[in-house]
Amino acid sequence: MNVLPTLEGGLRIDLETPIDWLLMTCIPADARGTPVELADQFNELMAEDPGATDWREYVLPDLRAQFDGQITLVEEALKSTGGEIPAQIMIYRADGDRWFGVLNQARLALDARYHFEDDDGDEMTPGKLTAWYRYRHYSALQHDLLRHVMR
Amino acid sequence: MSDTLTVTREAVSLDVPWNVVVHDDPVNLMEYVVYVFKKVFGYPEPHAERLMMEVHQSGRSIVWSGEREKAEFYAQQLQSLQLRAAMEKAE
Repeated sequence: MNVLPTLEGGLRIDLETPIDWLLMTCIPADARGTPVELADQFNELMAEDPGATDWREYVLPDLRAQFDGQITLVEEALKSTGGEIPAQIMIYRADGDRWFGVLNQARLALDARYHFEDDDGDEMTPGKLTAWYRYRHYSALQHDLLRHVMR
Repeated sequence: MSDTLTVTREAVSLDVPWNVVVHDDPVNLMEYVVYVFKKVFGYPEPHAERLMMEVHQSGRSIVWSGEREKAEFYAQQLQSLQLRAAMEKAE
């Protein structure tokens, strides 16, 4: 996989192997795998607030729609390649925040499931280790987005 | 003659400053948190970095204080950018 900045201020991701494809398709799958929806986690932070009811009624649905829309964006970008390898995925400058958001959702979901801070690589099960690699890969993509797109 | 039912709701106090608080989380990148503080509040880089470090080291930071309506707006903005933001009455 190659990740390259574009002249328009976006990123181009070249998928060259089936593993590259698998890694990218894991992003939305991981993001949808959270035990508690991210918007609901945020809503809990407002539980003690006098305006909690309004927050739940007005803000929570917006956050849910926004976070779901981020995942859909990535799913549609993957679908647009037709699943053929080699393939290119373009992240346009205007979509940088949304791509960053879905990568964040994926990392939050993985961390909630595996608690990476609790042990080091030597003690990880194979499933946890592959999840850790995905987590690191998503972080690397986020760094690329921050460096080249979200400036 | 008809009875009138009066429902009284506790009004949310608007006359005290409200704090917008950001809590630490295990996932958000430091660089991203600085980016969000600059984007949402327009803070200069050194101030945004100082607040980010406070979140990281102390577990939370008061990132803005002021009237409630604006605090709600900022808290919503921060949550939409996936920071763990909440509001509290200023002491």
